[in-house]
Amino acid sequence: MSNGTDINSEIFENLRLELRRGCLTLAVLTQLRTERYGYTLRKALAEDGLEIDEGTLYPLLRRLESQGLLVSQWREEDKRNKRFYRLSAQGEQILNLLLDEWQRISASLNKILQEA
Amino acid sequence: MSTPRNPIELVDRYLEAVRFWLPKKDTQEGVVAELGDDLRSQIEEKENELGRPLGQPEVSEILKRCGPPMVVAARLGPKGYLIGPTLYPIYIFVLKMVLVWIMVPVFVFIVGPSTLASTGSWAEAFRTTLGSLWSGFFIAAGIITLVFAVIERTPAQAAIASKWDPLSLPAVKKHERKPSLAHAVCELAFSWFGLVWLLLLPKYPVLIFGPASAFLTPGPIWHRFYLPIVLFSVVGLLRSAITLAKPQRQWFPPLSHLVQTIFGMLILRFMLNAATNLPHGEWQTFVAVTDAARYSPQYLRVAALVNGSILVGMAAGWLGLSIALVVQTWALLQYVRKAARRNGQAASLEML
Repeated sequence: MSNGTDINSEIFENLRLELRRGCLTLAVLTQLRTERYGYTLRKALAEDGLEIDEGTLYPLLRRLESQGLLVSQWREEDKRNKRFYRLSAQGEQILNLLLDEWQRISASLNKILQEA
Repeated sequence: MSTPRNPIELVDRYLEAVRFWLPKKDTQEGVVAELGDDLRSQIEEKENELGRPLGQPEVSEILKRCGPPMVVAARLGPKGYLIGPTLYPIYIFVLKMVLVWIMVPVFVFIVGPSTLASTGSWAEAFRTTLGSLWSGFFIAAGIITLVFAVIERTPAQAAIASKWDPLSLPAVKKHERKPSLAHAVCELAFSWFGLVWLLLLPKYPVLIFGPASAFLTPGPIWHRFYLPIVLFSVVGLLRSAITLAKPQRQWFPPLSHLVQTIFGMLILRFMLNAATNLPHGEWQTFVAVTDAARYSPQYLRVAALVNGSILVGMAAGWLGLSIALVVQTWALLQYVRKAARRNGQAASLEML
């Protein structure tokens, strides 16, 4: 019985991660309309209910930066070097397109859920 | 390993361990600095919340939550794979082909008998062949993996995904048995090894006689028919190769089987004629006893037994091929009938 529960929780965890993956990108891009460094970004996301660990956030930030959607800068703050990220002009355009897509998906999904 | 006096030193140790597992020197500094800042920010926030510096267990708890250095480095570092999803199915296919369908038969039919011929001991031959096969597996798998890893890093693998054309796909034939890939591959592999075995026979009679090669030698009849038999084997190999390379040519297997069967029957017929067409009911022997063993009644008895067996085997083979000829002719006629019906239907549709 517990084995079945374990399998179910593993399947759920994998599907949950899949579901979160795209949403996290959207959330990170939106949060970085304001310049932030990694830790404050993690905190801001957690305060809004989207907790994200270091192992997920920093590779995502680097990928988005390599795609030209973010720009980063090392600066000293509170006697420590911190890497600040913000949305680039291209990132702003992509974010708007993604938000439109998100609205469409969300509306479709709501409609499907109401019909079910 | 010494325990750090300052809890923050624990963070430095942790970052150093993460740095060790990060693959690229140029990305290490940025990744480690960013992770370090995150961890120190967490510690600072907790200290502000508690109004006191954190102790070692509390810092340790934060690091534990972050994860083992090796796992963290794997998550933070650049993602990579040896063989990507495009090449992986081809890699597995080639690996299976080489290891199962080439190496195993080579070792079973060539290396094993050769080792037996040189050592003269079955146990020694078995042990040596198995050992060589085992190490050969690893070497072949390593080379194939290396080749695919190199291809993965060249533009060639992108071309595989971009160059395929849906129009080149073979047509689906409904309600007909699809040609089995495994069957075609097996046939090709065995045809290949059959040919190699045949070519090695003149030099290594042990491959056919086994330990009896010490006192048995092939009869002169084989010298006359060796070349046609090799040709028969080459035809078989070509037939298997074409069947595998062009599975869409569904007419080819039944027709080529039939042609090869007729060829085989002709060879057998001529051999049987040559063997038995002697005056006074005598017949030409297939194997003879070597000069050294000429006077041994035991070896002469074995040679007579082998000759009788070969003659009966050939007659049975001729009979078997006659039955195969009927079956294959029927299969070809069935194919022609179905193809004619399909063409008729297609012509009717075109007229409509």
